Amino acid sequence: MSGISDVVLELDGVSIATSADTSGRTLVHDCTLQVHAGEAVGLVGESGSGKTLSTRAVAGLLPDGFAVGGTIRIDGEDLSLLPAARLRDVRARRLGMVFQTPRAHLNPFRTIGDFMTEALVSVAGERADAAASRAMDLLDEVGVPDPSRRMRQRPGDLSGGLLQRVMIAATLAMDPRILLADEITTALDVTTQEEVMAVIADLRRHRDLAMLFITHDLPLAGAVCDRVVVMNQGRTVETLPAARMREQARDPYTVRLLSASLPGDVERRTGAPAEPILRVDGLRKTFRVRAAKGFGHDEFVAVDGVGFDLAPGGSLGIVGESGSGKSTTARIICGLETADAGSITVKGEDWTRPARGSRGRRRRARIAQMVFQDPYQSLDPRQTVRECLTEAVALHRPKAPRPEVTARVDELLANVALDTTLADRHPRALSGGQRQRVTIARSLAADPEILVLDEAVSALDVTTQVEVLTLLDGIRRSTGVALLMISHDLDTVRRLCDEVVVMRSGVVVEQGPIADVLDRPAAEYTRMLLDSIPREGWVPRRRRPARTGALPSVATTTTAIPRGGTR
Amino acid sequence: MSVAQLAGGRVAAVVRRAATRDPLVIAAVVVVVGVAVMAVFGSALAPYDPNAIYVGPVSAAPSLAHPFGTDDLGRDILSRVLAGTAPSVLGPVIVVLVSSLAGAALGITAAWFGGAVDGIASRLIELIFAIPGLVLAVLAVAMFGKGLLAPTLALAIAYIPIVARLIRAGARQELGRPYMAALRIQGVGSAAICFRHLVPALLPALFAQTTIGFGYAMLDLAAISFLGLGAQPPASDWGVMIAGGQPALIAGAPEQSMFPALFVVLTVLAVNVLGARVTTWAEGGER
Amino acid sequence: MNAGVVRTLAGKLGELALTLFLASVVIFSAVLLTPGDPVAALAGGIRPTPELIEAIRAQHHLDDPVWQQYLHWVGGVLTGDLGTSFVYKTDVAALIAPRIGVTVLLVVYTAVLIAIFGIGSGVLAATRGPKADRAVLIGTSIGMAMPTFVVAILLIWVFARVLGWFPVYGAGDGFADMAYHLTLPAISLAVLYIAFFSRITRGAVVGQLHSEHVDTARVRGIPRSQVFRRHVFLNASPQILAVSGVTVAGLFATSAIAEQAFGIGGLGSLLTEAAARKDLPVVQVISLLLVVVFVVLNAVADIAIAVIDPDSAKPRRNA
Repeated sequence: MSGISDVVLELDGVSIATSADTSGRTLVHDCTLQVHAGEAVGLVGESGSGKTLSTRAVAGLLPDGFAVGGTIRIDGEDLSLLPAARLRDVRARRLGMVFQTPRAHLNPFRTIGDFMTEALVSVAGERADAAASRAMDLLDEVGVPDPSRRMRQRPGDLSGGLLQRVMIAATLAMDPRILLADEITTALDVTTQEEVMAVIADLRRHRDLAMLFITHDLPLAGAVCDRVVVMNQGRTVETLPAARMREQARDPYTVRLLSASLPGDVERRTGAPAEPILRVDGLRKTFRVRAAKGFGHDEFVAVDGVGFDLAPGGSLGIVGESGSGKSTTARIICGLETADAGSITVKGEDWTRPARGSRGRRRRARIAQMVFQDPYQSLDPRQTVRECLTEAVALHRPKAPRPEVTARVDELLANVALDTTLADRHPRALSGGQRQRVTIARSLAADPEILVLDEAVSALDVTTQVEVLTLLDGIRRSTGVALLMISHDLDTVRRLCDEVVVMRSGVVVEQGPIADVLDRPAAEYTRMLLDSIPREGWVPRRRRPARTGALPSVATTTTAIPRGGTR
Repeated sequence: MSVAQLAGGRVAAVVRRAATRDPLVIAAVVVVVGVAVMAVFGSALAPYDPNAIYVGPVSAAPSLAHPFGTDDLGRDILSRVLAGTAPSVLGPVIVVLVSSLAGAALGITAAWFGGAVDGIASRLIELIFAIPGLVLAVLAVAMFGKGLLAPTLALAIAYIPIVARLIRAGARQELGRPYMAALRIQGVGSAAICFRHLVPALLPALFAQTTIGFGYAMLDLAAISFLGLGAQPPASDWGVMIAGGQPALIAGAPEQSMFPALFVVLTVLAVNVLGARVTTWAEGGER
Repeated sequence: MNAGVVRTLAGKLGELALTLFLASVVIFSAVLLTPGDPVAALAGGIRPTPELIEAIRAQHHLDDPVWQQYLHWVGGVLTGDLGTSFVYKTDVAALIAPRIGVTVLLVVYTAVLIAIFGIGSGVLAATRGPKADRAVLIGTSIGMAMPTFVVAILLIWVFARVLGWFPVYGAGDGFADMAYHLTLPAISLAVLYIAFFSRITRGAVVGQLHSEHVDTARVRGIPRSQVFRRHVFLNASPQILAVSGVTVAGLFATSAIAEQAFGIGGLGSLLTEAAARKDLPVVQVISLLLVVVFVVLNAVADIAIAVIDPDSAKPRRNA
């Protein structure tokens, strides 16, 4: 802990409520924390904890209709006592704020250069050319290569990781005392996350910059911050020194959070190798996209020579960052895309081409099903849970009488540990975890032998993730269904899978039993992935000081990048 | 749940909820219902024969005997307005029904099949859109002669692109959602996906557009009658009446034009209010 | 602008050209689709004499195959030969030429009114607080129910009978006089569109006011007026521009109503008259003209949007 008693930011009993005449809900009851000069404080919590709201209250970014109680002090000045102009000035000069999706905070129609120099010219009163050269210096400091070219580009031309660095550079322009970082790496690949955190560590060192680091990722906060403040349901629950989090944690919620981020001990299957239920061999898929520059078309190779086996009742994880082709592979297996080359064999049948007609699809549905990432869009919002499951059951048992169908629906609900009282609700009344359970139940309606999970838990809170993964493991043991888990998160895969395949840019880099690959990785890429995961004693390193990130960091498989190109 | 049940149930619920909360909406509903009643029973309710001339003094101001006054041929304006409701309202109804059905079908087809089918459908939509509705109507009149039928059908065609674009965009968005992929993997048949899931998803937007379109169609058709190309005198279509009343207006007797104009404006206003309310409900959605 | 943007714009222009071509085919086929003999259709309401029939057949090449007839017609239009009206017994070009000026002036006048009052009131509604917003909302609600012909008769009533400020008939002579005469017609045309534009502008501006990038700009301390100009309005403008092209193009057609009500001798009133007399040659040419205007104005709007928002014109990156 810093010896200077200079408190840069203080929240004292801060409460935030929606105004009384609408619904009058209190979202934050009591948020209390201090950040000293040069110190990094992590603010950790799950969704609904109030961490983002509290930070926005400091920055003055709460939407209309929110009432703030308690005291917020910046450099000792009570914000509620300041006149409006001074308040604006204090915020503009002392705070720097960086957000989760930088793209949303940048004007898509104006250049990066405009963005960087705007504040300098209109607030600090610098001249345009001085501001421009200062902007380029800042871009250099955060490791953006070729700054003069970037200054002329628009946000749409830059990747997420680059944009995040631009935002950081822009906040530094006013020489703030404290950086408010709101989930800044949540949307980034783990390797890009490491880059960004390394940049921030450098900056903090050079500028003696304090930081309030908001995240749901407790290990990350523990690794990069001096102290960690835990929030739960609108209250600050506990404040711990980062280095001794595990020993000193007292509050049961904190303990639960800590255990959720530990890779679990899952009983490994090691049995006699049986005939694989799914065999993928030499799979290749290319997307034709219009060239980013010039005329003609570019070929984007999403999947290149991918092959692996899945044993009946086994569980295989496919791990990779965005653009690795893992999702495309899963989609090809389930018939949502068609491979250009290679083969897919399921139970001896050739599944390389998607099924013809709905009868064919139904037949395949009884063997393989898929659970998607977004629990909010995975269900028809117009159907109740019961209607949705009834449709799925009746589809595969067309002649079954009503009572049998209803009984089966209840059985499915029980299998995913969902209370039957929820059955008559619409998806909008359910939480993310509950919706995901419904999608799992729906996919089990056909009694499949393979369940493909495409980032199925990535959008859930950490504690909910653990619940759902445990559920899936239990289902696997009781019904013998094989699991194919696609994820960017190694810890998820470690929790659930016996074997793992590591993919990068469409190619399989390494595969094998999970203990082997994760504990004794053979490939350098796997080692790099493992090293980028925040854990105790982790120090982010800038691997490529002059590069922006060779790894494509666009989010979905349907977005194209020219082969081998970087942004 | 069948599409019709779904639509009917939803509409009833919405109307019930809206009415209890908003006097403006109640007023709008009253107007719309009133106009509907006038359309069906207008001729029966009229105190005088709408076409009988010289039932009163010429161009008289409103009085007890003639609450809306009389026109330049001594016909009772109130009776003419009542009788004129049906043609003034029927046209827009046809325009909106035809364009909504055809436009929705076109939009869903384009979004569902994509590729070349989408290309052709979009070309067709652009083509119709490029010819302003009024021009299509005028062309139709030049080809088939004056009257309400030709312009009505021409307008119905002209309104298709608006609906088609809306539905195409909405269908594309909906089809891109993961639950649609899940349904396909499940093996749910294409027809079931389309009618049990896609169409109900699009109904709110379609309904909103239909309501708004009705207002525009009414204005357009009345304008065509005003130009003398639609309904013909001595029909008491409101647009014709407004045009016919212009000389009287200049001479100092505005009733002949003003009353039908008032009804046009009131009807469209009421429909717009309802349309706005339906649109907010549609956008609120079920997310 | 890089190659990708240029190529997408070129593609869009190609599409517009195709649409134009198809529309011209549709307009051309009006003659063929008219029930009865094409000669009768072309002759309009009059009953043609045998010599006239011959003349019509010759001039429209009715003995040639259909596609050649089309080429003759289009070729003629492109070279300035707009055909003959057998109803008015004169060249179509001669009928149209004197009327174009009036209509263009009327449309421009109206467009200016729409721009000032429509966009202006929309901005007011979005930025001056709930009272202004409510007032504009009520105004636009009424405005959107006020078609041109209703506003026209209202204005005629007020200004012909009650006040005598503006003339209610004719188009006048010379620029200033014409502007004076066209004021009431322009207002009558504009009201509906002012309401429409007001709503669109308000929606677009409000949408931007609440967007995160505007919040970010404000928090960084950038002054209000600059935030409005460079972030709110700039980003709202594509939506407004998108509607502008269609609206102005539509104005050329809707001007017919104002011309009818105020007795103005412009293109619109010619169109109406010709249609009433079933004079297809005239109607076809004017229709084609209006479609050309529509297509061109849309292209201009698209280019303007692409300048502000190059991403909208970028090649779509999707499988």
